[in-house]
Amino acid sequence: MKISYNWLNEWVDLSSLKNPKDLADVLTARGLEVESIESQGKGLEKVVTGQIILKDKHPEADRLSLCKVNIGAGSEYLDIVCGAQNHKQGDMVAVAQVGANLPNGMKIEKGKIRGVVSMGMLCSEAELGFKKESDGILILPPKTPIGWKLADVLALDDTILEIKLTANRGDCLSHRGIAREVAAALGLQLKAPKVREFTGKGSPIRVELDAGEDAPQFFGAYLTGVKVGPSPGWLKTRLESIGQRSINNLVDVSNFLMFEYGFPVHIYDAGKIRGQVIRVRKSTSGETLPLLDGGEVTLTGEEILIADGERPIGLAGVMGGGNSEVSDETRNVFLECAEFNPTLVRRAAFRFSRRSEASLRFEKGIDPRGHREATARLMDLVVKLAGGEPAGEVMAELPSRSGFKAKTIETSADFLNSFLGTEIPREKMVSVFQSLGITVEQKSGGEQKGDAGFNLTPPTYRLDLTIKEDFAEELARTIGYDAIPATIPVLTGMPKSRKGDSKRHRLVTMDRIKDVLAGLGLREALTYAFQSEAWLSKFGMKSSVKILNPLSEEQGFLVPSLLPGILKAYQENERHHFGSEPLSVRLFEIRPVFSFSGEKIEAKGEAETGVVERFRLSLLLSGPRLDQALKSERGEIDFFDLKAVMESLFDQLKTRGIRTRAADTTILGSQSHLYHPGQTLQLTAGKDPVGFIGRIHPRLESELKLSRPVFWGEIELEPVIALTPEKEVSFKAWSGFPTIERDFALLVEETVASESLVQSALKSGKPIAKVVKIFDTYKGAHIPEGKISIGVRVIFSDESKSLEEKQVDQCAEQIVQKWKDEFQASLR
Amino acid sequence: MSVHSEIEEKGKAALNQILEAQSLEQLDGFRVSVLGKKGSLSEALKQLGQVPAEERPKLGALANEWKARIEAAIESKKNDLESLKIEADLKKTRIDVTLPARKVHLGALHPITRTIRKISETLGRIGFDVTTGPEVETDFMNFEAVNIPKDHPARDMQDTFFLGPGVVLRSQTSPVQMRTMREEKWPIRILCPGAVYRCDSDATHSPMFHQIEGLWVDKKVSMADLKGVLDFFAKETFGSQVKIRLRPSYFPFVEPGAEVDVSCAICAGRNPHCQVCKGTGWLEILGAGMVHPRLFELAGYSPNEVSGFAFGMGVERIAMLLHDIPDLRLMFQGDERFLKQF
Repeated sequence: MKISYNWLNEWVDLSSLKNPKDLADVLTARGLEVESIESQGKGLEKVVTGQIILKDKHPEADRLSLCKVNIGAGSEYLDIVCGAQNHKQGDMVAVAQVGANLPNGMKIEKGKIRGVVSMGMLCSEAELGFKKESDGILILPPKTPIGWKLADVLALDDTILEIKLTANRGDCLSHRGIAREVAAALGLQLKAPKVREFTGKGSPIRVELDAGEDAPQFFGAYLTGVKVGPSPGWLKTRLESIGQRSINNLVDVSNFLMFEYGFPVHIYDAGKIRGQVIRVRKSTSGETLPLLDGGEVTLTGEEILIADGERPIGLAGVMGGGNSEVSDETRNVFLECAEFNPTLVRRAAFRFSRRSEASLRFEKGIDPRGHREATARLMDLVVKLAGGEPAGEVMAELPSRSGFKAKTIETSADFLNSFLGTEIPREKMVSVFQSLGITVEQKSGGEQKGDAGFNLTPPTYRLDLTIKEDFAEELARTIGYDAIPATIPVLTGMPKSRKGDSKRHRLVTMDRIKDVLAGLGLREALTYAFQSEAWLSKFGMKSSVKILNPLSEEQGFLVPSLLPGILKAYQENERHHFGSEPLSVRLFEIRPVFSFSGEKIEAKGEAETGVVERFRLSLLLSGPRLDQALKSERGEIDFFDLKAVMESLFDQLKTRGIRTRAADTTILGSQSHLYHPGQTLQLTAGKDPVGFIGRIHPRLESELKLSRPVFWGEIELEPVIALTPEKEVSFKAWSGFPTIERDFALLVEETVASESLVQSALKSGKPIAKVVKIFDTYKGAHIPEGKISIGVRVIFSDESKSLEEKQVDQCAEQIVQKWKDEFQASLR
Repeated sequence: MSVHSEIEEKGKAALNQILEAQSLEQLDGFRVSVLGKKGSLSEALKQLGQVPAEERPKLGALANEWKARIEAAIESKKNDLESLKIEADLKKTRIDVTLPARKVHLGALHPITRTIRKISETLGRIGFDVTTGPEVETDFMNFEAVNIPKDHPARDMQDTFFLGPGVVLRSQTSPVQMRTMREEKWPIRILCPGAVYRCDSDATHSPMFHQIEGLWVDKKVSMADLKGVLDFFAKETFGSQVKIRLRPSYFPFVEPGAEVDVSCAICAGRNPHCQVCKGTGWLEILGAGMVHPRLFELAGYSPNEVSGFAFGMGVERIAMLLHDIPDLRLMFQGDERFLKQF
């Protein structure tokens, strides 16, 4: 909200402040944050008025003129080159002298333009910061004095403060409201204007309140013989200073009152009100109303309407009707100053996209006891600016308003001090509250210091003060938050034990996963939780959670998988990659994915949404294995690098029970197009699939135009967390007896999974075959087509004794026999 | 030739040969040819039997003396030859140690993760514990439970993404406050980090960003306690020289409410052109206040029994300050050039 320093000064004496910055500090310290201070004359310090004495053509350029400008006694005439076309000899102009720093950022220097020295510039309105764009230079009225500062001539002596008001301070949406705060801060009285008596009698138009508590009061006045015309200069200055456009004296007056008093009011052409009656009522569904902005709205039955004897003439709190609008011919007017239900006004303003300064004030709530004074002030202003005779007043109030009393809150100095952590004397509290217009009723507590307590009643314009904590804030912001000491709170009770807390285990495990993956050379990425439908469909995915009001289609759906996001991140890296150094990308992300399986997303009770969030881990590797080594040593990342990341992760976490198997198209199922069916592992926990890791499917790779193979994977984290022990690792002693090794070269069909040979040997070699390892594979010379030679090493040991060769041979034989039976393997 | 002179001669000849040996193998050959069973010196000694008995000890001593001299010469030559061989090997195995290392690709944690951890660690030291909540929330938890009823003007403060009737992407981490209070008894001392969402996007706003929220509920918790905790947090995070400033402000879930600034750690307010604080000397970093009694009622606590404070901050904001990150959007692009720096 914009506040004019000069305007504010009419309401409270600002002379004790050094400058507007001082005022800003006072306001900010009270919770009225001043965002900017704009001095109107800023940038115009070296701009003066001048008269063009001579205008010649520029010798070198037809489109330029060479002017001699008089900027007053004591200065020589200035030679100025000008590119505009709208000036002539004798014109009064704004002259920016050398050294000026204009509001549009332009710096004026002495310079040659096409070979002719120019000692300044004749300014346009855009250059002076008055308008965004302008044609030609500003021509001032002929009677403008010469050699004055332009800011003085135009009375640009005001300073505008932009205040960021918090949602609870509707009372400060006016100069009067801000003045009240300043007065409280500086210990001053308001300089309120004197207003007429408002009797509420004699209006030829009567008012009927038919909307119950949704419109509990309506003050009106009838004035005859007004003259619609332009506003006087002072009024224009006031409104323009805070960014409002001057329209005519009546419109301007109602705006002025709103920005001065905080009361939105409306002025009707009384001649257009039919039936000598104003009815405030709820709309009926389907009813239409032409608005004064030229639009028409169809009402829903939820709005409050102002109607006359025949039809609606205004949308209460939002906008007046086009059918009752003041025009140049208007002679008699009817003034409205009323109260409407803030929620209904807010909804109507949103519904019809017509939020305005007025609806904003209704929404935030207006002093329910201020309408009488505001209406009187409005009458005074109309009479002063548009002439006319008051010809009757009307007021309609429901008992909730005529008998209105602000709620009284009981509290005590002890409570306030304990709550704030302060030691403010009771008397100081009382004076603070009184400075804010709060009525303090001290309870008789005898001689006891502090405890007695008091009853506090806020002024009717401060209905945001409803609980004792609100008064604590009033106190704190008046003495200043700086005056509150800083202490560290005392720990009471036992700190919560988190052992056995599954939530805690989850957080700790996810943190550990991040640490391990970073240790394995991956970089943590964070991608958006939303993607476009089109992008997801590239991966054959469809989200079950749609954002109803997305910022753009790009962010329309919550992700069912982290893969589309991490691939986008990969592409981002590919996009900006250039030069001959290889691109190396190794990313991981831990974030939830979202799914919904019901009919319709809808809240169930207070805490349930039905949308499921499951944390997943995504991995993506691509590029050279050693990206910083010599070219010959770099190697290329392949599937086994990715597999190593996964295995190392589970080894580090001591996660037990995640099994893997080669994932062909059948196993891949709905994910078939994501992964290469010959280079992918499925992870399972028990029977439950937990995810896949593998090479991106070559088809997808080419569809996405990836420049190189990508190895990626996605793993459900909840099962991994469940299989990761919370318990600390227990030490296990190793066997002190020697181990015996046997190496085998097995010839098998190349489709045999080597891991199954390992598992088979571990099983058939129980209990002494402790470790089985694939140590080599070979295809080529001496190996028949379609077969592969696999080198398997079995390591035998026993915890309690040295093994005998015979025992090992026997066991080895069993193992080999099983291989032969199960895999048709032969020894080479 | 006398035996004596034969020993002398053969010994001298052997010494000469040894000195001229070119390799360890050659040297070994000489050893055998001189000292071996059939070596020249041994052969000479065999003739001892033919000399008179009284001369034998003398000749024996002479032969042993020569034997020792030859062995010493072999040993010394052997050392020389070995050194030469190592020298030669060293030359052969020299590498350019300034060539690039076979460095592994270094991993990194996202600055958001790092910042959340830093804050959690700092405040963990004075008693806070981390907890989290869902990102898809009910309207009730996101708004009403934090004292923002329907049609409350404060709803304008936040542009919320809607997923269905009464279901939103949380616009703040505050719902975790209510969820925790409803699940647990006081005292409560929690930090809730996590992603939040608002319909806003430019260099300083992202539709998804992160907050970390703190809540402390107990008997007799005061606003001075809030100030103490924030002061500790600011000093630990930005340096012991920084100060904090609380300005009155409004958030529906606290009363009194405050916006909290830290003094500019870069210029301490001394540089009117400071890029970080824009010359104001202060940086706004969080919102805070005393928990509104309405929240206690909704949580099933008695507002007469407990009081508390809450604070919330944008993690990106803190991360940007800590790491001099100029543009918020860098956080979510997965750009390795960005990620590798942390």
